[in-house]
Amino acid sequence: MIRTQLHSSIWLALSLAFAAGCGGGAGGRTVIQNKGSDTLVNVAQAWAEAYAEKEPTVAIAVSGGGSGTGISALINGTVDLANASRKMKAKEDEAARANGVEPKEHIVGFDALAVYVHKDNPIESLTIEQLKSIYGEGGTTVNWSDLGVRVPGDSSDEIVRVSRQNNSGTYVYFRDTVLGKKNEYKLGSLDMHGSKDVVDLVEKTPGAIGYSGLAYATDHLRLVPIKKDDASPAVEPTVASAIDNSYPIARPLFMYTAGEPQGAIKTYMDWVMSDEGQRIILEKGYAPIRSLD
Amino acid sequence: MSMFQATELNERNKRKEKLFRLLFGGMTILLIVPVVVIVATLIARGGPALSWDFFFTAPSNGMTEGGVFPALVGTLWIVAVALIASVPLGVAAALYLSEYAPDNWLTRLINLAIINLAGVPSIVHALFGVGAFVLFFRFGTSILAASLTLAIMTLPVVIVSTRESLQAVPRAFREACWSMGATRWQAIWNVVLPNSISGILTGVILEVSRTVGETAPIMFTGAAFFLPFLPESVFDQTMALSLHLFVISTQVPGVPEHLPYGVALTLMGIVVVLNSASIAFRAYLRGKKKW
Repeated sequence: MIRTQLHSSIWLALSLAFAAGCGGGAGGRTVIQNKGSDTLVNVAQAWAEAYAEKEPTVAIAVSGGGSGTGISALINGTVDLANASRKMKAKEDEAARANGVEPKEHIVGFDALAVYVHKDNPIESLTIEQLKSIYGEGGTTVNWSDLGVRVPGDSSDEIVRVSRQNNSGTYVYFRDTVLGKKNEYKLGSLDMHGSKDVVDLVEKTPGAIGYSGLAYATDHLRLVPIKKDDASPAVEPTVASAIDNSYPIARPLFMYTAGEPQGAIKTYMDWVMSDEGQRIILEKGYAPIRSLD
Repeated sequence: MSMFQATELNERNKRKEKLFRLLFGGMTILLIVPVVVIVATLIARGGPALSWDFFFTAPSNGMTEGGVFPALVGTLWIVAVALIASVPLGVAAALYLSEYAPDNWLTRLINLAIINLAGVPSIVHALFGVGAFVLFFRFGTSILAASLTLAIMTLPVVIVSTRESLQAVPRAFREACWSMGATRWQAIWNVVLPNSISGILTGVILEVSRTVGETAPIMFTGAAFFLPFLPESVFDQTMALSLHLFVISTQVPGVPEHLPYGVALTLMGIVVVLNSASIAFRAYLRGKKKW
């Protein structure tokens, strides 16, 4: 009795294995692998979702992980499209070429990098120089009183610096633009693993300051207007100020392909750049590459 | 004073006995508190999210609406392929170690390797999976790569539990077989395996539970942030429930609160359903056991 039971269960397992094996290879759907920037991941997801309805034979597989993750996957040849919120570094370009991949850059939108503080923080504006003094190595601004404000509910007066993990494109862009290319971040910041984590933490911490894409703004925190220098006007981070270039820390968002895009990838990239695709990036809180009617 | 009157020492021992009984009992109760709290929270907050539509539609509107269908199917694929890869391998290895292998330095080395494999953190397995399956074997980020990574990670569980259950079959059973002229394989197939199948299934159950929940090993090797299609072969990428839960709770702005709880509840539901199926099967087989 037991014997027949056991044997039939083994046959069942085998036939399951066989069925699973046979399931493969069917269908003619093209899959485009798309990986990278956490800043872009929600736009990439929205594009994929809209494109799935428009072109049901093409599936866009979206993954996050950070700009660095996407670019190294492109170098390794495991993705078709790498999303990045920063330009590819010369070193990465070399590594790609050494691997037989010729990265082609596409600007797919712009992002105002917003500086977030707690909603009770009364600070009126910050200059790039002040931001540098807060975040940069050797900067002397450590307390809110150094900037002439007191945050209600924050007993310690200390500025809690919220930053990003070092393979984040946002991290690199903020360093290059605000701290200067040669400079490093001050040690002791809280390095979060995603734009949304930064925003979540700043919402809950009265003494905190953080930076992330404008698209992650919520009603529960303040976006500090930024001045280029003491003499310049303070500019609010908005889609409009990113488009007209008046906001000092707005950056292009990139997608990289291996070589000139072809076939389904080209069709997809063309659609991303089209008015329809650009309207989606606008809806998600980023600036499109050209003004849309 | 009667001879059976409790002495001072007896009384003290009795009090101590009571105290420790209470203490340990209290600890045990404490142990189930987190489980009860987790399950209750999930049901209370995630329950309202569950519906037929939730299970059978894809996420929509920037993953803030819709259901979990592609992730649900993806998780089942990953678990199935991982089982197909690891169970035959694990059982075969356990059979060799328990039934054939002599006790020498090589066997001891293999046993040590298995124990060490079980101790490797899942993120290390993940990176191994990327290097080995995604890049070296060129499977790309796919169900196959993810499942094989998980299979390697869970192999020790299968091997150890299978070996234990094989060794629980009394040696006298084998000796009886051999003395009747049966070969080792005949003894294994007709006597040892049928008597240890329920223990082997326990290992498989443990493996399923672990495979369903793991996130790190699949996030680099096969699971996508968003892919609204069902996988068609093991070479496709797929969404998976565990990663989906991570994504909608940490990466996507504007997700309504009930959604992550619903996903978590679904994830736990799968483990419970798969486990109870194998537990029922195991109980059925155990009922047939003759000793």
